[in-house]
Amino acid sequence: MTALRSHFTGVITHPWFVVALAAGLAFFVMNTTTGTVQILTFILINVIFAQSINVLTGLGGQISLGHAGFFGIGAYCTAVLTRTYGLDMAVSIPLAALLGGAAGYLLSFPAGRVREVYLAMMTLGFGMIFYEVVREWVSVTGGTMGLSGVPSAALRTASILGVPLNQIAYFWVVLVVTLIVVALLSNMTRSHVGRALFAVHHNEVAAGSLGISHASTKRTAYTLSGLLAGLAGAFYAHLVGYLGPESFAVHRSIEVLVISIVGGLGSIAGQIISAAIFTYLPEALQAFAEFQFIVYGVILTFSLIVLPKGIAGLILDPPRFIRPSALAAARARKPELVWNDSVGRVAVKVEGLTKRFGGLTALDDVSLTLKPGNITALIGPNGSGKSTLVNVTCGIYEPTEGRVMLGDTDISGLPDYKVAALGVVRTFQDPRLVPSFTVRENLLLGAHCLGRQSGMAAALALPAAMREEAEFLAEIEAVMELTGLSDFADTAVDSLPYGYRRMAEVARALMARPHTILLDEPAAGLSESEMEMLGGIIRKMKEAGLTIMLIEHHMDFLNDLVDDVVVLDSGQVIYRGDIDGMRKDQAVIAAYLGQEEEEEV
Amino acid sequence: MSFFLSLLLAGISVGSIYALVALGLNLTFLTTRTLNFGHGSIMMICAIVIAYFASLGYAVPLLLIGSLALAVFLGLCVERIARPALRGGGSMGWVVSTLGFGILLQGIAAREFGSQAVAFPAIIFSAADFFIVGGVFVAYQYLVVLVVSIMLILIIELFLRRTRWGHAVRAVSLDAELGVVNGLPVKLIITMSFVCSALLAAVAGILVAQVGGTVDPAFGFNLVLFGFVAAVIGGMGSSVGALVGGLIVGILSKMVAGYVSSAAEHAVAFALLMLMLAIRPQGIFVQPEVNKA
Amino acid sequence: MIEVRDLSVRYGAVEALRGITLTAQPGHTTAVLGANGAGKSSLLRAISGISPVTGGEILLNSKAIQTVPPEKRSQLGLAHAMEGRRIFKQLAVHENLELAWSFGARKIDLQKGIREVYDRFPILGEKSTTAGGLLSGGQQQMLILSCATIRNPTHLLLDEPSLGLAPIIVNQIYDFIASFARDTGATVIIAEQMATMALKVSNYGYVLRGGKVVVDGESKELLRNGIAETLSSSYL
Repeated sequence: MTALRSHFTGVITHPWFVVALAAGLAFFVMNTTTGTVQILTFILINVIFAQSINVLTGLGGQISLGHAGFFGIGAYCTAVLTRTYGLDMAVSIPLAALLGGAAGYLLSFPAGRVREVYLAMMTLGFGMIFYEVVREWVSVTGGTMGLSGVPSAALRTASILGVPLNQIAYFWVVLVVTLIVVALLSNMTRSHVGRALFAVHHNEVAAGSLGISHASTKRTAYTLSGLLAGLAGAFYAHLVGYLGPESFAVHRSIEVLVISIVGGLGSIAGQIISAAIFTYLPEALQAFAEFQFIVYGVILTFSLIVLPKGIAGLILDPPRFIRPSALAAARARKPELVWNDSVGRVAVKVEGLTKRFGGLTALDDVSLTLKPGNITALIGPNGSGKSTLVNVTCGIYEPTEGRVMLGDTDISGLPDYKVAALGVVRTFQDPRLVPSFTVRENLLLGAHCLGRQSGMAAALALPAAMREEAEFLAEIEAVMELTGLSDFADTAVDSLPYGYRRMAEVARALMARPHTILLDEPAAGLSESEMEMLGGIIRKMKEAGLTIMLIEHHMDFLNDLVDDVVVLDSGQVIYRGDIDGMRKDQAVIAAYLGQEEEEEV
Repeated sequence: MSFFLSLLLAGISVGSIYALVALGLNLTFLTTRTLNFGHGSIMMICAIVIAYFASLGYAVPLLLIGSLALAVFLGLCVERIARPALRGGGSMGWVVSTLGFGILLQGIAAREFGSQAVAFPAIIFSAADFFIVGGVFVAYQYLVVLVVSIMLILIIELFLRRTRWGHAVRAVSLDAELGVVNGLPVKLIITMSFVCSALLAAVAGILVAQVGGTVDPAFGFNLVLFGFVAAVIGGMGSSVGALVGGLIVGILSKMVAGYVSSAAEHAVAFALLMLMLAIRPQGIFVQPEVNKA
Repeated sequence: MIEVRDLSVRYGAVEALRGITLTAQPGHTTAVLGANGAGKSSLLRAISGISPVTGGEILLNSKAIQTVPPEKRSQLGLAHAMEGRRIFKQLAVHENLELAWSFGARKIDLQKGIREVYDRFPILGEKSTTAGGLLSGGQQQMLILSCATIRNPTHLLLDEPSLGLAPIIVNQIYDFIASFARDTGATVIIAEQMATMALKVSNYGYVLRGGKVVVDGESKELLRNGIAETLSSSYL
């Protein structure tokens, strides 16, 4: 069954299959009724529209209940430009898409600040405002009367670059654009852009620790999504020739959401299948059209419970985020570990750091230095402030007082993704890998902050972008070798045993080529043999000159590994020195054994 | 001046309805930290059922009881339907499920009662009843709406602050797991919050329909948006906040509608929402949580 | 009496408990010791029903309870002071106490219970209308302990009651715990990282490691054998 499914996926996502399908359609429309051509064009428009939800919600994880707004912006833009100003469609349609993108970009600022239900409400509000504006701004949109006389293929009033378009020709134009959109999206999804979107979707904090800025990633998602919806809207305008506000009310947003969810969020192919079904059905079945709202309601109510991954989850393999061609190119390279240039040269210094949460003082005037090339263990009872110290150092929290220095630069208050890009990388107590990604994909995410290629280069699959991807993939081979993950390269992380997940997180941090690495309880939950392996990896890092901070409780594990020990208790440093001295230190013993200290009180 | 006063009164009237909507959203937000996107459809269906059957000659008191019973049933439905989504933890499933349920109700209403507006019977008062204060005609309906809203808000506020079960509701909202360990019937409390929220939706729906004179299947969505903005301004979960937020949104939007353009109502609400989320995301009446995580 | 037989708990891929067997006698305090991540909290959470149990049995006075929903367990006389300063932070001290009393099996009336709490920890009486979140760490811990004991439970679970507290408060809290089992005949299980402290006040001790019991015995024996020191030298 799974073999059949993989086979099927291989066929229908193969570029040649898509081209053949498109060619078949292109011929088919020449010998069919105008009604069918109309429906087919509409399907293509919904394919583009659904991809716009897919980028934002499927990849970026940001829900939108107001997408009709972007769709409408594109539609009215091209309608007004062609009808009132007589612009050519070849100019007005791209402009319409750009305007949609600009709207998306603008909306991303308020929307990026909120999440979950607030975001849903905000986008719903956006859609409603757009609807109101269309109804009231009579001079531009025609108000409730609508805007008629938009150049339309059906009425044979449309032309592109002076060439008149009939319905068939218009279908061809939309088909070509749809193909280009799908190709670019498919490249982009399988590049650092798609991976970053998905990483932010899954866990913003973890993404930040890899140098991915969630704010700019979300901006990308909104802009792209607005662009695609605007494009779909523009094509819609020239398909129907008349625009009324009712076409851009809430139900349009709902419809595209239904298409996208049923198709399978995250799957490009799923969106296409679903768009075809939901555009065709209401046209073909009178009963469906009559019960449309009820059907949509039922679908939305139960779809994410019954079929969370949609049609795509049912009949297709989960989408992957690395191009097979990049993998092939990587195989031709020699797997090689690459270390940061400033390894062993910059020290991270924490000076007088205090962090308060409301009335609670989690860190109280903590100072310590991570000496270049040394392993420093950070020890302390539960709740003593170890994780808080790591979080402040890495920019997740801002310090209340004091500062964090990287060499001579003050990095306190820098956001987490910038700290990571400066070569200070951390792991989490609980592995925060992207669960549906394979080990290889997760590791590639680690290299995100090293990438120099633009999203555009990735979407066009330019040779430079492919080279960079291959370079990282080759490095991943070496890192997987080091961390014993080679056999699981293509296994999704959520089906991996716990020990390997922990290892994958360390491996991912290594992929960022850090000079300083902060490991938060890397050995927790590991078996003896896995712990030995982890010890080996940490030694390798030290040999390479990395500066390492280790939060750990297992003394056996730390014994022959660490150079310095810092002990925290109630947010204060109570011991600094070597490990043998610590064992004899009275304050440390008291903190752990809970022996009475009446004499001190 | 009298124009200003009449705008003010209209603002207070719609504002108190927004407050009721906000209150309904708040109740389920308190226990589940999510919003019921089908809230507006429950308002609509409870009102439209009365309007439709009243036009067929059924007795209005009977219909009122029936409508409230329907609200209870729908509240239970929403909770039951969306429970798996809630357990899954993701807000997306929750939003989509409750929204879907709302659309389903809307679809049913449109099919059964037609998508045109249905006239709503004069139950408590007729729109023509008024008295005069300072030279301004004050419709009785404005007064009734305001009084009903304030009373309901007081009752809920007293319940939450002064009774053991009220404390239990607040406890569930703060830390459900700790509640369970303390023996609080968390599931029952959540279910009841949905029932009460649906009842509030029904009352709000009936009042809106009474003031507006008609109901149509689409009328809930707008109100939920305004109610949400009111809730955010007052602070999600705060009953007094719901009232104040509702009044702010109501008065401001009526003023803008009166002096600037009636089309700007939504924009005002939206702008308020943005402003609030930017300046004080937790709202006026809610203290920011001290949380180290 | 609390009996746990061959109990396993698993969170997704993580096995927190791998077959734990343990008995806690009424009128006695039983200490569960171990490092971070050894499974102490998971054990207590499984007993009160909020951890996913994948195998084994939990018996309360010889009655199997693993299928009883957690909120019903408190009506069987179970109380649990969770780790991590778990109180209702925005509710006042007296509201916290009242809630803790209201929904479980209780042996005394509310007013008497609250009076006892305020007698024991006068500072809580002074702050009875203060929101729990505004108390200091030590005061919060007193409140947690008071919430867990206010209805005189027959079975009491305490998770790291000493965490992050000044020694003088730790002593005060431990004095109370030590007397609670003795005076009320309740079954008390206490999970602690601070081994010496816990062994001093308890009758019997279990040492966990990697979700398994590695050592158990009379607390005095364990203390004499230097278990506490061994523990803290291998795990910090």
